Amino acid sequence: MVFLTLSCWIRSRGPDRYWKVQEVLKNARHFRGRKNRCYKLAVRMVRRAFVYATKARKLKKRNMRTLWISRIAAASREHGMKYPALMHNLVKSSVQLNRHVISDLAITEPRSFLSLAKLARARQQEGFRAALGDGKEPPGVLSRVAFLQ
Amino acid sequence: MSSFSRSAQQWATFARSWFLIDARMQPPGKLASMSAIRLQGKHKPIYHALSDCGDHVVIINSREIAFSGNKWEQKVYSSHTGYPGGFKQVTAAQLHHKDPKAIVKLAIYGMLPKNLQRRTMMQRLHIFPDDVLPDDIMANLTEELPQPREVPRKLSEYTQEEIDAFPRLWTPPEEYKMK
Repeated sequence: MVFLTLSCWIRSRGPDRYWKVQEVLKNARHFRGRKNRCYKLAVRMVRRAFVYATKARKLKKRNMRTLWISRIAAASREHGMKYPALMHNLVKSSVQLNRHVISDLAITEPRSFLSLAKLARARQQEGFRAALGDGKEPPGVLSRVAFLQ
Repeated sequence: MSSFSRSAQQWATFARSWFLIDARMQPPGKLASMSAIRLQGKHKPIYHALSDCGDHVVIINSREIAFSGNKWEQKVYSSHTGYPGGFKQVTAAQLHHKDPKAIVKLAIYGMLPKNLQRRTMMQRLHIFPDDVLPDDIMANLTEELPQPREVPRKLSEYTQEEIDAFPRLWTPPEEYKMK
């Protein structure tokens, strides 16, 4: 017999079970029902929640971009332009602002957005002005790319 | 507006406006798309699906809407009562006669996003078949939207000078009989 005294018979199989269980349950505390308390149910639901979180990191980028686009479309319609026309003409005028920045400008800096819309409108109607107009630039709009020397 | 305090600026930004649209001689589909955009709040740069930024839309004279083509006779609105043999199909003309508000209401209902907020947005839509508005709605109106379709003038509305000044392509000979 190896264990000759009573105290040697007492086993301590894994003293950290409480903390390992708590590490999982802390991520489940805001769930509904028994899955926020019982480890066996919680461990499945926590794994599912983490999988959803991983997939959502890609979806978040897509959703944010669609939100920016719909906000820019709403703001440009207020100024009488449509979203595709605005973006195409800004690209043609070599304005390299992304949709995030333009949508923030549309919300917090309305006059800057108005100036962008006027720039895009001038670039859009450049052909018309060359064909029909008197060759004068529209007041206050610079639509040519300035080559730095 | 830059002199507002933060809470006052927030209140002013997210305030709900009341739009008025006159539906006389307008196609109900175009009215519906304009209204659906404003009921969702998609005409605002601060739009977000969760932030409840939609506005109220009031449509008057919905009895005088104008379908193009033969849609009054050809467009069919279907419904089912739930009981066997209860499939009902009604033409647009019959439905309009029974309820002059239904065509515009169904058009807008179909154009809103199919989520739980659709019913709240429909509650913010007010349709009146005639010109008569209740006083509380009249007091709330903020803006009138331009009509989507330019209503053409009838021949009787042109003055004789305008008819004479219109260019003629050919003059018919004296014994020509117009059908």
